[in-house]
Amino acid sequence: MKIIILGAGQVGSSVAENLVSEANDITVVDTDIPRLQAMQDRLDLRTVVGNAASPHVLAQAGADDADLLIAVTASDQTNLCACRIAKTLYNLPTRIARLRSMDYAEHPELLDDSNFAVDFSICPEQEVTDYIKRLIAFPEALQVIEFAGGRLSLVAVRAVGGGPLVGRQIKALREHLPDIDARIVAIYRNDTAIMPDGDTVIEPGDEVFCLAASEHVRAVTAELRRLDKPMRRIMIAGGGNIGYRLAASLEDRYEVKLIEHARPRAEFLASNLHSALVLQGDTTDEMLLEAENVDDMDLYLALTNDDENNIMSSLMAKRMGAHRVVALINRRAYADLVQAGRIDIAISPAQVSIGSLLAHVRRGDVAAVHSLRRGAAEALELVAHGDRKTSKVVGRRVDEIRLPEGAMIGAIVRRSQREVLARMSDVTVHETEERVVMPHHDTVIEPDDHVIVFCADRRVVARVERLFQVGFGFF
Amino acid sequence: MTLIAKLLPAANICLGLEASSKKRVFEQAGLLFENNQGIARSQVFDSLFAREKLGSTGLGQGVAIPHGRIKGLKEAIGGFVRLETPVAFDAPDGRPVNLLFVLLVPEQATELHLQILSELAQMFADKAFREQLLQATEVAAIHTLFTAWQPAHAEAQRRAAV
Repeated sequence: MKIIILGAGQVGSSVAENLVSEANDITVVDTDIPRLQAMQDRLDLRTVVGNAASPHVLAQAGADDADLLIAVTASDQTNLCACRIAKTLYNLPTRIARLRSMDYAEHPELLDDSNFAVDFSICPEQEVTDYIKRLIAFPEALQVIEFAGGRLSLVAVRAVGGGPLVGRQIKALREHLPDIDARIVAIYRNDTAIMPDGDTVIEPGDEVFCLAASEHVRAVTAELRRLDKPMRRIMIAGGGNIGYRLAASLEDRYEVKLIEHARPRAEFLASNLHSALVLQGDTTDEMLLEAENVDDMDLYLALTNDDENNIMSSLMAKRMGAHRVVALINRRAYADLVQAGRIDIAISPAQVSIGSLLAHVRRGDVAAVHSLRRGAAEALELVAHGDRKTSKVVGRRVDEIRLPEGAMIGAIVRRSQREVLARMSDVTVHETEERVVMPHHDTVIEPDDHVIVFCADRRVVARVERLFQVGFGFF
Repeated sequence: MTLIAKLLPAANICLGLEASSKKRVFEQAGLLFENNQGIARSQVFDSLFAREKLGSTGLGQGVAIPHGRIKGLKEAIGGFVRLETPVAFDAPDGRPVNLLFVLLVPEQATELHLQILSELAQMFADKAFREQLLQATEVAAIHTLFTAWQPAHAEAQRRAAV
C-alpha cells in the first residue's frame, strides 16, 4: 500500500515504524529536517520537507498515487486542511486525521465528504486517557482492552503467590469458576511468551493475558492475585492534555490532586476543574510530594511529557509509599526497562493510541488492533468474510484453521439477526444481536464473525491478516 | 459464445494506459465505465477499492481481475485494461500487474458471477492467451481474442463445427 504520513512526531514515527516492516511504500512529510533525517536513517521510507497542508507538498509526497493519508501533525487545522486537499485535488481514497481538540468531535458533520473529508479521526490523548481510566477501574490489571463495545475484555494481570490459580494448572480454572467461560490466551514468563494449554502451570510473577466477558473480569483476576481495594485517592503529576482530561473525568468520583509546574497552566486548570485540587510545583520535588501525602495515594500517575521526569517522580512516589505508580514513557526502551521493576505500569502513549489507526491500514477487514506489551504483541479483531470456498477461515472448525505459531483465537463475537415482528404494523424488523462465543476446538467460524486473535509476537500479525483475507472469488 | 464475450464491449478495451499506481488504474477504470455505460466513476472507484481491501484480486503472472458490486447495475459488465508500465498489486506471486480485467456486477451476487470469474481465471491461466493479449496492437484484435476464446474442452467441438 502507498501511504503518506503527515507529521514526524511521536504518533507519526510510531505509525511509520509499525508499517514499514510490512509491504508498504511510505512517505513522511514534516517541516523539521533533522527529524526526517533521523527517521530516514532508521527506517526504509521516503521523506518530503514542507508544509503538510500545501497542495504542492502533498503532490510531491505522491498524493496522486497514494491509497491512504494519515494526517497526524500536532496541528488540527493542518490535518483537516490536508484531508480536504487530498480529497479534492487527488481523490485520495482513505483519509485519517488526528484531532486533539474536542471541539471537532462535537460537530461530526464537519468531517463528512462535503466538508473536511476525514474518513476517520483519532485523538491520541483521549485514547491514553481512556486507557488509564480502565486501569483505575481494574486496579490489579496491567492492561485492559475492550472488544465488541465493551462486552468482552482482555486483561493482563501479574500472578502473585496466594492467588487460588497460582501454582496450579490452567485447567483448574474451570473447576474454580465453573460458571465462567474465560480463556487464558498467553503467559509471559521472564519476558518470554508461553502459549499455554490446560496443563500449563501458572507461576508467581507470570504476566497472564486473559479474555473473558467484561462482567467476569474481576472474578478471573481474583484467581491470579488478591484483589486490591477500589481506588479512592489519585495523584496526577503533569497537567497537560492527558492530565487535564483525566482529572476532569475522575474528579467527581475520586479524590484527585493534580500537580502542574507552569503557573499559567496551573491557573487554567484550577479554574476549569471544580473539585480536583490543583498544586503548582515541581513533580520531582520530594517536599511537595511529602506535604501532599503521597504515601496515602492509591495511585500516582506521572503524566508529564518528559520521560525522565516521569520515571524519577514515579520512582520517588513509590519509595515514599504510594500504593501503585504509573508512568507515561514515550521511549519504548525506557518503558521496557522500568516496567515490572519499581514502576508498576509503564505506558507508551504512542503504542496505545495508534491501535485505532492501524485497524484502517491493515489488509483485510480489521475492526480493531490493540498493541500489547508496548508493541511486542497484538490483539486483533478481524471480520471473517466469504464462505468455505473464498475464505480460509469461514465454515471451518477452529482446529482446522491454519494459524501461525504464536497466534491464538481467543473469542468470537457473533452478530445474529433476529426477526422481530412489529405488532402494530406488518413490517418485519430485524434486530441485531451480538454475543460472545468462547471457542472450542470444534467451534465453526460463521460469515461476518468478529474473531479476536491474540498474537504473542507482532511478527506473525501479517500472516494472520493474510489468513483472514478473502480469496479471488469473493464479491 | 462465452460468458465474457457478452459482457465486454470493444469500447471498454483500453490499451497502453499510463498509470503509476493501483489507485490511478481504478480511477481510469471509473472514467471508462462512466463514459461508456454511464456508471458514476466514484461508485466504480469506491467499489473496486473496498473489495481490494479485503484481499487482492491479483492472480499472478501480471494479471489482476478487480471486481465489485454496483448498486443499480442491471447486468454484469467488463472492461479490459493493458498498462504501459506494470503497477504493484499485492498479487500472490508478488509481481506487478499490467493486464487487468475489471468486472462490475449487480448488487445481488449470483452463481452466474462466479461462473464469469472462473471463466476469466481460466482464460488468463492460458499462457498463449496472455502472450497474445500483450502483443496485439489493435483494440479490435484484443476484442476478437476475448470473443473467440474457447475453453480447452470446447476446442474440439468448435473445430468440428467449422
